[in-house]
Amino acid sequence: MRILLDQFTKTFGATTVIDKMSLDIESGEMLALLGPSGCGKSTTLFAICGIHRMNGGRLLFGERDVTHLPSQMRNVGVVFQNYALYPHMNAFDNIAFPLMIRKMAKPEIERKVLAIAELVHIEGLLKRKPAQLSGGQQQRVALARALVREPDILLLDEPLANLDAKLRLEMRSEIRRIQQETGISAVLVTHDQVEAMSMADRIAIMDQGQIVQLAAPKDMYDEPVTDFVASFLGNPPIAFLQGTVEGKTIRLENSDIVLPLDAQAAKQGNGTPIRIGVRPEHFQPEHPVKISGKISFIEEQGREELFDVTLSNGMRLRSVQANGGAFRLGDEVSWGLAADKVLTFDPSGRRI
Amino acid sequence: MRRAHLLGLGFMTPALIIVFLFFLAPVVLTAVFSFTSMSSGTGISGGAYEINEQTLRSLTDRGFPKAKSEKLGHDLYRIGEEGLGAVEADFGKAFADEIRAELSGELFEGRRDLERELKKLRSRPRSIRDLKKAADLFKRSVLNTRFESETAFLDGVGETGVELTADDQAVLVKTAYTGWSWTTANYELITSMASTWRAAKNTAFYVLLTLSFNVGFGLFLAITTFYLPKGQAAIFRAIWILPRILPPVLYVMMWKWLTWDTGFLSIFLSNFGVEPRNWMLNSDINAWVCIVLINGFVGASLGMILFSSALRAIPPSMLAASEVDGANRWQQIRHILLPQLQWPILFTTSYQTLSLLTSFDYIYLSTDGGPGRSTEVWALYTFHTALNNYGGVLQYGLGAALALVLVVIGIAASLFYLRLFKFNELVSQPRIEQ
Amino acid sequence: MSSNFRSWPMTLLLGFLSLPIIVMMVYLFVDTVTDTTAGSLIPDRFTLEHWRFLFDAPQAGRSNIWSVTLNTFIFACSTSAIVVMTSLTSGYALSRLNMPYRRLLLGGVLTLHAFPTVTLIISIFLMLQMTGLYNSLLGVILVKTALELPLGIWVMKGFYDTVPWEIEMAGLTDGASRFTVWRRLVLPQVHPGLAALGLFSFLAAWSEYILPQVLAPDGASQVLATYLQNLIKDDRAPDFNMFKSVGLFYAMPVMIIYLIFNQKLMNIYGGGTKG
Repeated sequence: MRILLDQFTKTFGATTVIDKMSLDIESGEMLALLGPSGCGKSTTLFAICGIHRMNGGRLLFGERDVTHLPSQMRNVGVVFQNYALYPHMNAFDNIAFPLMIRKMAKPEIERKVLAIAELVHIEGLLKRKPAQLSGGQQQRVALARALVREPDILLLDEPLANLDAKLRLEMRSEIRRIQQETGISAVLVTHDQVEAMSMADRIAIMDQGQIVQLAAPKDMYDEPVTDFVASFLGNPPIAFLQGTVEGKTIRLENSDIVLPLDAQAAKQGNGTPIRIGVRPEHFQPEHPVKISGKISFIEEQGREELFDVTLSNGMRLRSVQANGGAFRLGDEVSWGLAADKVLTFDPSGRRI
Repeated sequence: MRRAHLLGLGFMTPALIIVFLFFLAPVVLTAVFSFTSMSSGTGISGGAYEINEQTLRSLTDRGFPKAKSEKLGHDLYRIGEEGLGAVEADFGKAFADEIRAELSGELFEGRRDLERELKKLRSRPRSIRDLKKAADLFKRSVLNTRFESETAFLDGVGETGVELTADDQAVLVKTAYTGWSWTTANYELITSMASTWRAAKNTAFYVLLTLSFNVGFGLFLAITTFYLPKGQAAIFRAIWILPRILPPVLYVMMWKWLTWDTGFLSIFLSNFGVEPRNWMLNSDINAWVCIVLINGFVGASLGMILFSSALRAIPPSMLAASEVDGANRWQQIRHILLPQLQWPILFTTSYQTLSLLTSFDYIYLSTDGGPGRSTEVWALYTFHTALNNYGGVLQYGLGAALALVLVVIGIAASLFYLRLFKFNELVSQPRIEQ
Repeated sequence: MSSNFRSWPMTLLLGFLSLPIIVMMVYLFVDTVTDTTAGSLIPDRFTLEHWRFLFDAPQAGRSNIWSVTLNTFIFACSTSAIVVMTSLTSGYALSRLNMPYRRLLLGGVLTLHAFPTVTLIISIFLMLQMTGLYNSLLGVILVKTALELPLGIWVMKGFYDTVPWEIEMAGLTDGASRFTVWRRLVLPQVHPGLAALGLFSFLAAWSEYILPQVLAPDGASQVLATYLQNLIKDDRAPDFNMFKSVGLFYAMPVMIIYLIFNQKLMNIYGGGTKG
C-alpha cells in the first residue's frame, strides 16, 4: 500500500523537531530512513505508527486519511529495537496477540500464526517464552507478530542494532526476504548506512528534521546532493579537500598543488572556494590525475588494505586497494584521482 | 479531553477520594478545630442550652440575681395548648375543652394549686392519681431540659415568668451553653504556657540526639558490615534489621524487660552489687538514653539498609585499585566509601528529621513522656493534650492547635524536599502521546 | 569484602554492640517456654504454661485472643488489599498516562509521602466520631490505608517505570486499548512489585499500634497490638513470660514473612523510607 506523509510537522514543547516534511512510500517498497541520532527518523516512525501525534500535516494510508486515528486503528506493524516481546507470553501467544485483540476465531488465529511462523522459520519455537529465545529468534517472533495481522505498512525501528555482527548479517537478508515475499510496504529506521544500502529499495537520508535526499542506494552513493550525504554513505568514508577555482584547475588550500579538474572547475567562476570529495576507491595508483603525499596510516583488513595519504598541506586522502602489499608506512607515493568520479561541493555543502 | 486523560483520571479516582478524605479534609479540619474550644466536656457536635444545678450555682457566681436563679430552679404549671393536647389524648376531649375554657393562660407556682383548680371541673378524672397525672402534663421547667437553639431556650425561660435584663440574659445564655465555641484562646495558651516551651525544647533535643545516632550508627553498621565476610555481614544485618521490623509494642516491651527494676539489667547487675532500679525511668538522663537508643536502633536499621545498598554500588575494581595504590582502611573509607554515601546521608537526614519531629509512638510506649514530663516531645504533648489525658478533660481544640504547628512544619518540609531532591527532573513526559 | 584488611576486631566490636538486641531476642524465645526470671542467664524448666492464653477462656475485661487475632488479620489484609488495588491503578496513571494536572498529582503524592501523618490524628479522631466510624475496625482500616497509600503509589509507580515503553507501544500498534495494554501486558510485568507492596502494607498494618489505640479502643475491635499493650499496662506485677508469649505469637507472622521475603521487602524499605 502506498503511504503518503504530507507536510508533517512535529514539535516537542517549544522546539520544532520536524518541519513540514513530506515522504512518499510506494506500494511494496522498503524505504530506509537513514540519519545520525537526533535527526528525527524515530520521531517520524512514531508518527506513522501513531505513538506520537502529528502537530501538522497529513498521513495517508492508500486513500485513507489516518492523521488523527489512534495507533490501534491504523493497522501498522512495528518491530522495535528491543523487539518488545511480551515476556509473560510464549512465542505463539505473542504472535497471536494482535489477532486475539481483534477477536478473531481461535482456529483462524492458529492457522494464521502457524503460517506466519513458517514464513519466518520459527515453527519449532512457538511454545517458548521470549527469555528462552536467542536474539535472532526473538527478532523473528517480533517480525511474525508485526506481520500476522497483515498490516498496511511494516515499520522497523533499528531492527538489527541489538544483534551481534554475525546474526546481523543473517537477519539483514532474512528481513529483506520476508518483506519481499509478503510484498508489504516497509519503513526501516537505521543509523547504519550499510544496513540501509543493503536492505532498502530507496533511502531517505535525514538531517536535523529534514530529508536531505531521497534516492535509490546506488544513485545516492554516486550522486549525493550534499557533502553530508556523501560523508554519511560509504565505508571507509569519503575524504574531502579544500580548494579554490583557478581557471580550468583547482588549487588546494595552502599549497601549490593544482589539480587539472577542468570539468568540475568549469562550473564555477574563477576564485570561488570549492570542496572536493574523493571516495577511497577513486584514489588509486593507476588513476590519471596524480597527487603526491606520504602514507601516514595503513589498516590491514584482510581482503583489502586501507591507506591514509597526507598531502604536503596536511590534508588527507584515503585509498582502498585490493593488494597494495608493496607500500609501507611513510612511503612517498604519487597516486591518481579518477577525474570523472570526483565530487565537488560549494562552500555551503551543496553539490556542484 | 482525550480518552487517555479520562482513563488516567479514572485510574486516579480511588486514590484521590482517599487522599481527599484522609489528608486534605483532616488538614483543613485541624486548622478549623484549632480555633474552637472543643473538648471532651463540650462534645464535638454543636452545643445545646441547659440549666442544671451546677449552672445555677455558677450563675450566682457570675453576678446573676439570686432570686431569679432560684426561680429558674422551680417547677411551674402553665395552661397552654401543648399541655391541653396531651390531656386530650390521655383523658378525653371533654376534660381538655373544659380546662381550656376555665383556665387557659393561667400560671401556677405549685402543683397543689393547679390540682385544686382541676378538682373543681366537672369532667375531671375520678381518681386522684389520674388528676395528678393530668396536672403534671402542664409542668413547665427549664431545669435539666435541653434546648437545641438559643431562641427555644429563651422562650423556655420566658415561660417561667422570670424577667431578664439584657445583661442577665447574656450571662444566662453563656452559662447555659454546653457546646464548643469559636476562640483564639488556644494560640494564646500555646505561646504562654511553660509546658509548650518545655515540649519544644524536648523535641529539639530529641531530634538532634536521635538523628545523630541514627545517621552515625547507621553509617557505622553499613561500613563495618561492608568489610566483613559475606556470612558474618548477613548475620549482623539480620540482627540489626530486627528493631525495624518488630512491631513497636513488642519491641518496646522487650526494652522494658531489659530495663525495669525487676528486669534483666537490674537483676543481672545485682550480682555485682549494683542496686536494682528502673533503668528506664529512675532519672531524666536514663530516660533520655533509653529513648534515643530505642528510636535510634530503629532509625539506624533504616540508615544501614540505605547506606549498604549505596555501598554495594561501588565497583569492586575501584576498591582493589585503591588498595593497590596503598590506601589504608581509613583512607579507603574516607575517600571512596563516604563520597558514595553523600546522597543517601542527605536523604536519610532530611527524611528522618521530619519523621522524628512528629513521631511519638516509641516514646509513648516506653516512657510516656516520663519521668514527670521530662521526655515529653511536642507530638506526644499534642497527643496527651487531645487524646490521651488521664488527668482530666481531653482538649481537642488546644490539641489541634498544637498539631497544626506540626502540620505547617510538615508541609513546609515536604515542599523543601521536593526542591532538594529535584522533583522537576523526576517528571518526565509520557512517551506515548495518546 | 576486601581480603587486604583484618576483620576479626570488627566482628568482635559489632558482636559486643549487638548484645542488647541478641539478649532481648534470645530471651524472647527462651522465656516463653521456661520460667526463667529476668537476669538469671540459665533457663530453668521447660513449660508451656505461658501459652495458656491461647486456650483458656479470657479473664474478665479481656478479649478472646482468637477474635483479636482475627481482627488483626482482617485489619492487615483489608489494608493491604485496598492499598495494593488503589496503588495499582494510580501508580500506572502517574507513571504512564497523559492527563491533566499530572505534575501536580505527582508532586502531591511525593509531598504526602514525606508528610508526617500522625499530625492528622486529632482531626481524624474527631471526623470518625462525627461520622460514626469511631470504634469500628472499618474506620481504622480506612485511615491506615490512607496513610500507607502515598508510599504505595510511589513504590508502584517505581515498578511501572521499569516496564519498557516499547511493550506498551507494541501493544498499541497491535490494536489494544490503553486499558487492555495495562491489564494484559503491563500488569503481568509488575507482579513482583505487587507482592512486595502487599506484604509491606500487611506488615505495616499488623504492627500498627497508635491508630487502633486511638480510633478503636473498644474491646470488640481490638487488635493484637492494643491487646498486648493493654496486658502490659494492666498488670501491677508484670508477668513478662506471658507478655513475651503473647508478643511472640503476635510477631510470628512478621518474622516468618520477613525470613521468606527478605529481599523483596528490602526493595521497598530502600525506596520507601518512612521512620
